[in-house]
Amino acid sequence: MKRDSLSYHIIRNVLLFCAALFFITFLVYYYFTRNTIKETTQVNAVLLADKTVSRIEQELLIAQNIPENLGWMLESANLQKDSILQFLKEIVQNNPNIYGSSIAFEPDFFLEEGRYFAPYAYRDGDMVKTMHLGSESYEYFFMDWYQIPGMLKKPYWTEPYFDEGGGNIIMSTYAVPFYIWDNGQRVFAGIVTVDISLEWLTEFIQSVKIFDTGYAFLLSANGVIVSHPNRDYIMNQTIFTIAKERDDGHLISIGRGMVAGESSFTHVDLLAGGNYSMYYTALHSNKWSIGVIYPNREMYAPLRRITIILFAIIILGLILLCVFIIQNVNSITAPLKQFAQSAKTIAAGNFETQLPEIKTRDEMLELHNSFEFMQKSLADYVIQIKETTAAKEKIESELHIARDIQMGMIPHIFPPFPNLPQIDLFAVLHPAKKVGGDLYDFFLIDDSRMCFVIGDVSGKGIPASLFMAVTRTLLRSVADKKDTPADIVTKLNKSLALNNESCMFVTFFLGIIDLTTGEVEYSNAGHNPFILVRAENSEYQVMAPGMVLGAFEDIQYTNERLVLKPDDVIFMYTDGVTEAMNQQHKLFGEQRLLEIVGESGELPVTDLINSTLNGLTGFVDGYEQSDDITILALRFLASQQ
Amino acid sequence: MISLFQVLAAGQPAKIRFAPQWTAQAQFAGYYVALEQGFYADAGIDLEIIYPNAGKSVLKLLETGEADVVSLFLTTGIKAKANGVDLVNFGQLSQHSATMLVARKSAGILKLADMEGKKIAIWKSGFDELPRWLIAKNNLNVEWVPVLYSVNLFLSGAVNIMAVMWYNEYNQILNSGVDESELSCFFLSDYGFDIPDDGLYCLENTRKEKGKLLAAFLHATLKGWEYARQHPDSTLELVIGKMKQAHLSANLTHQKWMLEKVLELIKLAPKNVSPGELSEQDYNEAIELLYQQGFISTKIPFQEFFQPTTKTAK
Repeated sequence: MKRDSLSYHIIRNVLLFCAALFFITFLVYYYFTRNTIKETTQVNAVLLADKTVSRIEQELLIAQNIPENLGWMLESANLQKDSILQFLKEIVQNNPNIYGSSIAFEPDFFLEEGRYFAPYAYRDGDMVKTMHLGSESYEYFFMDWYQIPGMLKKPYWTEPYFDEGGGNIIMSTYAVPFYIWDNGQRVFAGIVTVDISLEWLTEFIQSVKIFDTGYAFLLSANGVIVSHPNRDYIMNQTIFTIAKERDDGHLISIGRGMVAGESSFTHVDLLAGGNYSMYYTALHSNKWSIGVIYPNREMYAPLRRITIILFAIIILGLILLCVFIIQNVNSITAPLKQFAQSAKTIAAGNFETQLPEIKTRDEMLELHNSFEFMQKSLADYVIQIKETTAAKEKIESELHIARDIQMGMIPHIFPPFPNLPQIDLFAVLHPAKKVGGDLYDFFLIDDSRMCFVIGDVSGKGIPASLFMAVTRTLLRSVADKKDTPADIVTKLNKSLALNNESCMFVTFFLGIIDLTTGEVEYSNAGHNPFILVRAENSEYQVMAPGMVLGAFEDIQYTNERLVLKPDDVIFMYTDGVTEAMNQQHKLFGEQRLLEIVGESGELPVTDLINSTLNGLTGFVDGYEQSDDITILALRFLASQQ
Repeated sequence: MISLFQVLAAGQPAKIRFAPQWTAQAQFAGYYVALEQGFYADAGIDLEIIYPNAGKSVLKLLETGEADVVSLFLTTGIKAKANGVDLVNFGQLSQHSATMLVARKSAGILKLADMEGKKIAIWKSGFDELPRWLIAKNNLNVEWVPVLYSVNLFLSGAVNIMAVMWYNEYNQILNSGVDESELSCFFLSDYGFDIPDDGLYCLENTRKEKGKLLAAFLHATLKGWEYARQHPDSTLELVIGKMKQAHLSANLTHQKWMLEKVLELIKLAPKNVSPGELSEQDYNEAIELLYQQGFISTKIPFQEFFQPTTKTAK
């Protein structure tokens, strides 16, 4: 698939969106499920720990009851010295959890018994044996089980210890101080103890399983490991020595929390298995603490499985979606390619090309209809264009002919009168369009007089050219030998103004030069003043303005005169010269024209006009000519007489 | 006669039975290392290590002849000699006191004077002379609570001050979850009583009969300690092995601490003594302390007490 194809864009955008949607949905699902699992596991851990604790407490409380009751019996003098041993024996016999029990009295309590008096009954295999504790090498007063509850004045569970006789059984002793009344005083008299085997406890704790590798462990009040899956730890390590071995500050703070009897959730990094979650809580009877450890890996295993399945489904789904979109988009966009092909064919000019067939009633059908309409419109338009072009070409060719005719109407052979050396005359006419509205003319009225005119019809193009032709034709027909310029102009005006339906007019200048004297009589009908070029200076000739021709019928024009000296030049032009514009929309202007004409005044008129045209071309610098440009220059050389 | 006997016996090693004060632990690592590394065998000694028990103290083992050589605290040795046991010190290993008083800051004990009127747990079976002397010297009234060997009385909160060994009980307290910052420590050595601990003792007769053998024993022992200093890991492995063999609770962290501290105590500086030598000044201080407290009634001269097997150059 091309990277810039429509299918590619649609598929990419839809897939990206769907993937993002799936991903976000998955993240939300993952987050909440993970939390739920975590919460559920925590609740289970608490339940498990609490169940274990209450099960242990139950056993411990039974054990605790015995010495507490015994202490009460001793205090109320219900137990005689001589019956103690037998009594203890029966207690041990009747309580399978109890490994041994003693009542240890203060030194020299009974004078007849000496320093030590501590009857003790204990289990030895299936038998229950009795003995008296206390000797020089076993001064029980200084043992933890005696000394600590004695000083604390409250019951005390000893730290766990290995029973020396019973084959490495872990034991703990519950010791309760008892008192007697002596002369009205309640006096500390000794300690009642029961020894409890902790084997059942460690086995019970070890039977606690959480997932595959989770476990529970038990700490004594001083942090000694009492039960743990790693047997090497038991009684050898405290949680703090393990923490120090691993340089694990977090484990130390866990240990302190456990020893302090707190309950908390936390996590531990075990060397072997990475991250584990943990819950610990206290056994209130003996201030020991139980910890429940469960591996996060296993805790989140179901989530991982579901994650993998979900991912597989999502990826499969995305692939199917991809295939589905490709097929759909391709079938939808297939006509587009055909349309593109059709468009190329149409562009090449084949308007009859077959458009793709659309069976659906959707936008593609609209496109098809639009194409069809375009095809038809184009075909029609092209026909129309062909016709228009043919018509235009015809007009063009007619205009060419018209131009030739127009140009044929004005004299264009120079020098015009080779046999009249008195004058040097040159003229140009450059219409802005094919045909123009400017005109010039000159002709001999008799042997010594020549008439010369210049004019500018309002507007441009064909109407102006026709009006110019009319003006030129009328001029030749009205110019009579006896007439003054004003008479000719007045007659011309009258003829032009008559039936001037199109309200056109023409500015017009007519002069008649006497070739013998150089006297020029002229009449102006609204045309620009000419430049009189003389050796000493050149200037615009001031003359009566006069009304343009063709506007009003009854206008009487006036004659004016001037006498040309030899080499004087009359330089006439239309406003196409002075109003020629350059790129900056500046006009060529009368001042600039005067300067050029003044500088080139001594040249033959052909050169004078050409240099003027050059100056003009240089000024407009290629800017489109908007008006007809006409110049006529006449130099009076000298009289032949 | 003696030298002839030794020459005759040169072919086969001479038996020495040695008893440390206590069960196997890193406090005695130097002996285990010397035995393991064959330093004793190289010196022609067939060493047997025997241990005291609840019923038979190390002193008893020496008196009955069950042990040829024992390790004793200096104060214990002096008291025993003053009480008529015919023993001599032939080599002093520890040069410093490891005895200290430790107290809970939470009980408001930050300086020595804060101990006034308080209960102090102290060993019932000896080593108690220095702490008692410190308290007496400072005119404090305290209630002494004799204990056997555990620190549980302190941990249970029944007492807030306890006499402990730096290398042993102090760390047991730390290993039970008490932070060092929670404890005030009073080292006896900081109060001018840097009286050495462990030394090697034998009966005077043994000293006379087996002088050279004892010299070889002391030499091999010092070599063992030096090896232990240089190879702490293998030494600890050895110690833990010995402890497990004796079915003792063996804890690597604790034994490591103990080894480090005991090696510190063996260092001579800043005392002007040779390895194995007992400082006469330390001895006189100990005699004075024991005499003043009434533990002994006669002041045994230094030369009678310390009888080195070889003259060691300073």
